[in-house]
Amino acid sequence: MKGPDPERLKEADKLIQEIARDFGLDFMPQEFDIVPAQKMLEITAYRLPVNFSHWSFGRDYEMERTKYDHGFAVPYEVVFNSDPCRAYIMETNPFPIQVMVMAHVYAHNDFMKNNRYFQYSRRDMITSASEAASRFRRYEEDYGLDDVEKLIDAGMALQWHLEPLDKSYQETEEEARERLYGWKKEPAGGGEFDDLLPENRQITREEKMELRKKTPPEPTVDILGYIIEHSPKRFREWERDVLGVIKQQAQYFIPYRRTKIMNEGWATFWHEKIMQRLFNEKFLNPEEHGFYNLYNSRVKSHNPRMINPYQLGSAIFKNIEDRWNKGRFGPEYEGCEVAWQKEKWDAGLMKGREKIFQVRRTYMDWFFLDEFLNKEIIDELNLYVYREEDKGLYYEEIVDEVDWEKVKKALVRSLMHWGVPRILVVDGNYQNNMQLYLVHVFEGLPLHDEYCRKTMEYVYYLWGRPVYLETREFHDGGTRKVLYIADENGVSFHR
Amino acid sequence: MAVVRPDYDYAPRGRKDAARHREKVKEAIRKNLPDIIGEEAIITRKEKQIVKVPIRGLKSYHFIHGKTKGVGGGFGSGESKKGKVIGQRPKEQGKGGKPGNEPGVDYLESEIELEELVQMMLDDLGLPNLKQKEVRETVIPKGWTFNSIEKTGIKPRLDKKRSIIEAIKRREILIGRLMNETGRSREECEAVLDAEGGNLNRALELLRGGEPVKEKSDFPFITLDSSDLRFRTVKEDVEYRSNAVVIAMMDVSGSMDSMKKYLARSFYFWLLSFLKTIYKHVEIRFIAHTTEAKLVDEHHFFHKGESGGTFCYSAYDLAIELIDTEYPTERWNVYPFHFSDGEDWEAERTVASLKKMMERGIACFGYGEIQTDYSSSVLMHAFRDNLPLLSIGKDDLVYLEGRWADSPFLGVVIRRKEDLYPALRVFLHSDKNKAG
Repeated sequence: MKGPDPERLKEADKLIQEIARDFGLDFMPQEFDIVPAQKMLEITAYRLPVNFSHWSFGRDYEMERTKYDHGFAVPYEVVFNSDPCRAYIMETNPFPIQVMVMAHVYAHNDFMKNNRYFQYSRRDMITSASEAASRFRRYEEDYGLDDVEKLIDAGMALQWHLEPLDKSYQETEEEARERLYGWKKEPAGGGEFDDLLPENRQITREEKMELRKKTPPEPTVDILGYIIEHSPKRFREWERDVLGVIKQQAQYFIPYRRTKIMNEGWATFWHEKIMQRLFNEKFLNPEEHGFYNLYNSRVKSHNPRMINPYQLGSAIFKNIEDRWNKGRFGPEYEGCEVAWQKEKWDAGLMKGREKIFQVRRTYMDWFFLDEFLNKEIIDELNLYVYREEDKGLYYEEIVDEVDWEKVKKALVRSLMHWGVPRILVVDGNYQNNMQLYLVHVFEGLPLHDEYCRKTMEYVYYLWGRPVYLETREFHDGGTRKVLYIADENGVSFHR
Repeated sequence: MAVVRPDYDYAPRGRKDAARHREKVKEAIRKNLPDIIGEEAIITRKEKQIVKVPIRGLKSYHFIHGKTKGVGGGFGSGESKKGKVIGQRPKEQGKGGKPGNEPGVDYLESEIELEELVQMMLDDLGLPNLKQKEVRETVIPKGWTFNSIEKTGIKPRLDKKRSIIEAIKRREILIGRLMNETGRSREECEAVLDAEGGNLNRALELLRGGEPVKEKSDFPFITLDSSDLRFRTVKEDVEYRSNAVVIAMMDVSGSMDSMKKYLARSFYFWLLSFLKTIYKHVEIRFIAHTTEAKLVDEHHFFHKGESGGTFCYSAYDLAIELIDTEYPTERWNVYPFHFSDGEDWEAERTVASLKKMMERGIACFGYGEIQTDYSSSVLMHAFRDNLPLLSIGKDDLVYLEGRWADSPFLGVVIRRKEDLYPALRVFLHSDKNKAG
């Protein structure tokens, strides 16, 4: 299929920018790279336009390729949080779809420019990954594919265990130690709230000695970072580089993971509005608009086995806008017990637009759903929880829960900490023997045994000394402590 | 509109890394062969269907949450009620449920041809490239056959027809010469030559002398000269065959439960797959027995159970009959295999029957005893006590092997699915050694 007319695309781009600005969207300069399907599939699988080689990316590529070849899942666009913002769009998409994608991209652009969790990401990741790819290729030549691959395997297993960069200031280990010693920093110019700061507690000599030896000074979720700095294996330069790049990329993608539903919802919410305007202004003819409508309904279609972030996110933003327009919030509204009054509630507040812009600036999925997902939305979209039951030769997938409060609770829980179990490095010198002691913070769900064992092998590979992981399992209606130990004999499990 | 030109190399890397992934998948399969060969999907295949074994893409491991109940699950949307079935998910190889809400990533299904899998197993067993036709052939003497025709030989091998033909040819030549040299007619030349008993010089003289010719007889008179004689030579006749037959025997009495039958079934499947790589033609016959034995079809063999006691000799006797009538060992490599749970009410008679079967010159007798905690193991003991066997322990597996070439016996004890692979390995190694 031949791509659309570039002149008309340019015109569309100009119009979209005007409309988007008019709506109040605030975006970075935007670049589009129109690429063939093959490249598009690679970007989806490799996460970045050019990235280092790894079998897992190859596997994902093959999977994307298969889905594409069979006509499922045509990739529309990939947008990177860079400055200028870079979007990759598919060469072969027909004109109305290309216009929709562009409108969608401008809303993503606005989201990444303004959402607080994207503020501390490096914006040169495309180049940085491309450079890393060539360095890794050299490492493969110099140190052998197997060694490099093994290290990447292990690093990627721990990539999401890190402290997200959502503070402008990152404390070093030494600074944390000083803070724990209780050495008060000079207050920044005698502020008016100084009296609220904790009193300087006297710390004993013993405590100080204890603290000086302690590593990490306080528990940290940054497992990979801690291993890079403190592993008894003493990594060589290239090994530190490989692990560092993996950590850096994960750090870059964490904001995406934390705002998937919001980000896609926001972009869908706005592309619908922009497309409507383009049709009203007669830039799109009815046939093109009809074509777009068909595709748009597919974008927002139900998925029986997965949350569709386009669908859910845009539904929540719509709901918020509507509620704040009509003033359907606050104690007065919540407290209203007359059904028909509540039904017809409209205080004519018209604060909806303002509210959604504020939400897109300060929330992430976890809090977004916790605060704004309500019965109305869950019933409208028919959200449910399903479970799998062992039926001998196959698993049967059965709808397990449709009660809105329970569905919401489970969904919100799955979004905590970007969906990754919280595991802390508690001691890097356990039993004074350079052993690593990890603790899983139990928040209602145990760890997946098979995955846990394999991952422990990787941690041991990186640490080179015995590794302990303390977690809990269900037992007798409650839970009890269990321990995984990884050492030269493999991974063992202790109750 | 700011449309940028690509500022990176377009060199595709997806395919290269995908190939690396496939390589790793195969490596994983190789490591998990024992698991895979026990898989139901491979064994219960339809005959003559191309078999593909589903192999999951490699997982990317990381710490994830497990489930509070069920094996997996997640969230979805769409018209539904509690309890509605939204679909099915086929089971994976090995163990482990679907983790968390990870979208599809870990569930790439790639496929491998059964043939490739068998070849991988052969490689793993240290029998590489058997498929590149190191076909095992049997030479069968068929007596004598005539080979060529010679001018000398002994009288009994005189080829009369060929000799007469030679004589007729010679006569034609002589007549032609007479006609040329004398200018007389063909009839005259024939008559004179025949009258003179084939003597050319005498006939010439007579014809030149202008003598009138006597009446020609109705039949040409053929004289045989010694130079006309032709003799046959003979040589030994042989036939090349590459046939194997597996005589599958199994105790189908009540004590053989479906798990035991399943193990036997797996073993037979792989045995056939391997034999097919060494022989051009492989057959399998099924003998089910309780106290009586009978020939049955495959479905009956693996799926029907019968009540009753156990006389293993009944099966062995039927196998001997089968060998004598349909699969003579001069033409067939016969592999009688017997699976039981060790129970036998007349073990002595069974041993006697087995000895008789071995006298027939079978390729190898295999005995697989599928033991559970309650098995009696009568039969294995009987074999050990009455046959010249070596007990060998290897890879956690103890097996019995015939001490001499004329007792081609192999006995293994199988307790779990995991024992299948070592058992097969043992069998193939001993079989290979015998051939080599």
